[in-house]
Amino acid sequence: MTRASRTAVVLLALAAPAALAAPAAARAQDSQFGIRGLGTPGRWESVRARATGGAFAPFDAFSPLLEAALADVRRASAGVTLGTSWRSVDVGGVDASLRSSRFPALVIVGPVSRRIVVAGGFATYLDKSFSVTTRDTVDLRGKPEPVTDEITSDGAIADLRLAVAARLHPHLAVGVALHGLTGSTRVAAIRRFDDSATYRNSTALDELAYQGLGGSASALLDLTADLRLAGWIRSDTKLITDIRGRTAAEQDLPLSFGGGVRWRAGSEALIAGAVAWRLWGGKSPNAYDTFGWSLGAEVGSANSPVRLGLRRGQLPFGPGGRAPTEVGVAFGLGRQFSGGRGRLDFGIERLERKGGGLTERAWTFLLGLTVRP
Amino acid sequence: MRRVRPAFLPLLLAAGACTERLTAPGVCPNFCPADSLHVEDTVLADVIVRDSAFSGYLQGFEGEALPVADLPGIVDSRAIFVMNKIEMRVQPGTDTATVPITGDSSWLRLRIVRRDTNTTNLRLTLYRLPITIDSATTFDSVAADFSGAPIDSVNIDSLLADSLITDTALTNPRGGPYRADSAGHLLQFSGADSILVLTFVLDTVQAPFVEADSGRLAFGVRVSADTLASIALGANDVDDSDARIRRFYQYQKMIDSTTDSTVHAFADRETTFDGFVFNPPTPALDSGSVDTMLVAGGVPAVRSLVRVAIPAILRDTADVVRATLVLVPVAPVQGAPGDSFIVIARPVVTDLGPKSPLVSNEAFWGRKTVQIGSADTLRIEVTEMIRSWALDTTAATAFVLGLIPEAATYAQIRFYSSRASAFRPALHVTYVRRFPFGTAPPAAPGPPP
Repeated sequence: MTRASRTAVVLLALAAPAALAAPAAARAQDSQFGIRGLGTPGRWESVRARATGGAFAPFDAFSPLLEAALADVRRASAGVTLGTSWRSVDVGGVDASLRSSRFPALVIVGPVSRRIVVAGGFATYLDKSFSVTTRDTVDLRGKPEPVTDEITSDGAIADLRLAVAARLHPHLAVGVALHGLTGSTRVAAIRRFDDSATYRNSTALDELAYQGLGGSASALLDLTADLRLAGWIRSDTKLITDIRGRTAAEQDLPLSFGGGVRWRAGSEALIAGAVAWRLWGGKSPNAYDTFGWSLGAEVGSANSPVRLGLRRGQLPFGPGGRAPTEVGVAFGLGRQFSGGRGRLDFGIERLERKGGGLTERAWTFLLGLTVRP
Repeated sequence: MRRVRPAFLPLLLAAGACTERLTAPGVCPNFCPADSLHVEDTVLADVIVRDSAFSGYLQGFEGEALPVADLPGIVDSRAIFVMNKIEMRVQPGTDTATVPITGDSSWLRLRIVRRDTNTTNLRLTLYRLPITIDSATTFDSVAADFSGAPIDSVNIDSLLADSLITDTALTNPRGGPYRADSAGHLLQFSGADSILVLTFVLDTVQAPFVEADSGRLAFGVRVSADTLASIALGANDVDDSDARIRRFYQYQKMIDSTTDSTVHAFADRETTFDGFVFNPPTPALDSGSVDTMLVAGGVPAVRSLVRVAIPAILRDTADVVRATLVLVPVAPVQGAPGDSFIVIARPVVTDLGPKSPLVSNEAFWGRKTVQIGSADTLRIEVTEMIRSWALDTTAATAFVLGLIPEAATYAQIRFYSSRASAFRPALHVTYVRRFPFGTAPPAAPGPPP
C-alpha cells in the first residue's frame, strides 16, 4: 500500500465518526415546498460545482454525485462545504424572512492503488428542518378560542457514501457507491391558547429516526482531450421512519439519473452542462418527477478561477398538481494556497422558487475548503 | 503570489454557524405540515367511580372561624369560648409571700372576621357560660345559659356610625384609632383590612375574678340583626385571631415595714377552647345518603372520596388542555343569603380510602366558590390534576371533595354520586390529540385561489 493510499484510509477512518454524527448537523437549504413532502432534497455539489449552477458536479470529485470523477484524484484529499442562506417567503401576501446555516457535504478521497480510488463522506439527502406557526380560532365549549400552533422539525437525512472509482482506460473511468441513508429529526407540535388561564398549552415532542439504502453507478468518457461526457444512475430503496422503536412509515425513494458534458475551451476555460432526472412521482403524495438542467463555466487559472452558472429545475414536492420550479444563478471564486495543497472556494447563489402560489427567494453564501495533505 | 492563510477559517466557520431563524408563518393547507393539531372536547360521563362520603374529619373547635348566625328556619349558631386562667395571688416583691389580687375590670376583645355589610342593626350579645364547656358541648347543653340575661350587647352599626377617635393620647393605649359608644364599647379596624376588632369593657360583675375558677371565664356570643344576621368570629386555630381578654387588677405592696402601696396591673389571656354550637345539627350521614350522595362540609366536617378511571386515550394519545369536574347538587345549600364557601377537590397522594393523605401542592387542587342558595351545576377546573395523572401512570387517580372553610361553617353541600345514573358526576375534558409525527403525508388540496 502506497503512502497516499495509507493516508486515504486514515482520512476515511477519521471521517467515519464525523459522518455518523452528521445527520443532526448536516442540513441542506430549506424550502417551504418540502414541508408537505418528504423534505427538501439536498444538493450533491461542492462549492465549485454549486458556483457553476451545478453543471460541474458530474465532473467534480468533491461533489458527492458521481463516483467516476473520483478516479482522477491522485492524492488523499478532503473537501467540505458550508452554506448560509437568507430566504424570503411570499405567499398570499404573507412575507417572512428566514435564515439558516448548513454543513451540507463532506468528501474524503484517496487512491488505494494506481487505478482504484476510494472515497467516503456524507451529503444531505433530504432536509427536514422547518418551523411553521399558524393562527386559528377553534370553537371550544361554545366559545371561540384563538390559538397559535407551532409545528417544528429540526433535522435531516444524511447520505453516507462509500464509493469506489477506477480508471479502466485512459478515456474511461467508472465508479460505484453504496449509500446508507440515516438521520433523525426532533419534532415538536405546540398549541398555545390565547386564554392561557383557562386552557393549558399543549406540547408534544418526539424524535424520528430514518434509515434507507441506495446504490449508484457512474462513468466518465473522454471523447477527445477536451470533451468529456458523464453519466450516472442512482437507485434508493425505501425510507423507513421509526418513532420510539416503531416503524411509523415506509416511503419509496426515487430512481435518479443524469448526465453531463464538459468542454475545455482553451487552457483557462471550462464550460459544462448537466441534466438530471429524479423520479419522485408516485413515491409520496404531492410528489412529482423532476428534471433539471444547468450550465456553467470556469475561467481563469487553476490557482484562482472565476465561476458562474445558471440552473433551472423542478422541486419534487408542492401543492397544485404541478412541480414547483426553480431558477438560480451563481457566481464563485476559487483560490489555491500552500502550493496547491489547499483550496478555498467561495460562491454566492441567487435562487427563486415558485409554485402553488408561493414564491421563495434565497441568497446563499457558500464556502468550501479542499485540502490535499 | 500572496498566500492565503487558513488560520482565518475558524472565523468563517463561526460566521456560518450563526443563529438560525426557521419559523415562518404557515399558509395552510398548502404550505403547512400535512397534519395539524386537533382539539377535541368531550364529557366523560362514566369515569367517576367508587365514590363515597366520610364524616368526622374536623370538629367545630378545629375550624378557622366561629360562625355566629341567627337565620330563622335555617340555623341558629352561637360562638362559645373559654378564657385562660390568671394568677389570683402575686408576689409583690422579692419576698416569697404572696398577696391576693383584687379585680378591677376586663377588656374582652373579639375579632369579627366576616360579616355582611348589607346587614342592618347588627347586634352582638355576650353571655357568661360555665367554664366547663368543651368540645362535647352541644347547642342544647348551653341553651339555658343563652336564655338568661346577657352580660352585655353592642350594636355594631351604631358603633360604625360613631365618629372616629384619633387623639393619640386616647388611641395609643388602645392600639390605634377607634370608635366608642357611651357604654364603653370600642371598635377598630384591624390594619387595612375589613376585620373588625370589638372590645367589651366588663366590670367585675360581668367578668368576675373567681379564685375558685382561677380567674377563668367562659363566654358565648349570639348575633341578631334586621336581616342577614350572620358573622364569623376569629378562632384560635388562626394566629392572633381568637378572643383575648385583658384582666385589670390591683394588689397591695409594702414599701417599708409600716407603709404599703396599691399596685395596678393587668394580665392578657387567650382562649383555651373555642368553638360553636348550632341548631339544627348537621344531618348524620345515614347509609342512604352515603350511598347516593357526595357530601362536603358541615360539622363535624364531611368529605367525599372520588376515584377517577382515567381513560387510556388521555394517557396515550391526547394532551389534556382543560378538565372540568361536573357535579350536580342535590339541593341548594342552606345558609345566610350572600354567604359563600369554596368546594375544593384535592388529589390524594395514595389511595388509602377515607384516610388518604392529600397532595399539598395547591397547583393541583381544583376549587370553586359556591353561593348559598345556588342550585347550579358545579364546575370545578381540575386541569392540572388530570394532566398530572395522564403523565404519571403510577399516580393514584382519586381526589377528595371538601369545603373551605372546613368545620367553620354549618353549611354542607351534597352532590349526586355515581350511583345516580341521571345526575352522576362527570369529567368534561378538552384535549389535543397527539400529533401524528412521522406518518406519510396525505395529498395536498389544490392550488390556492
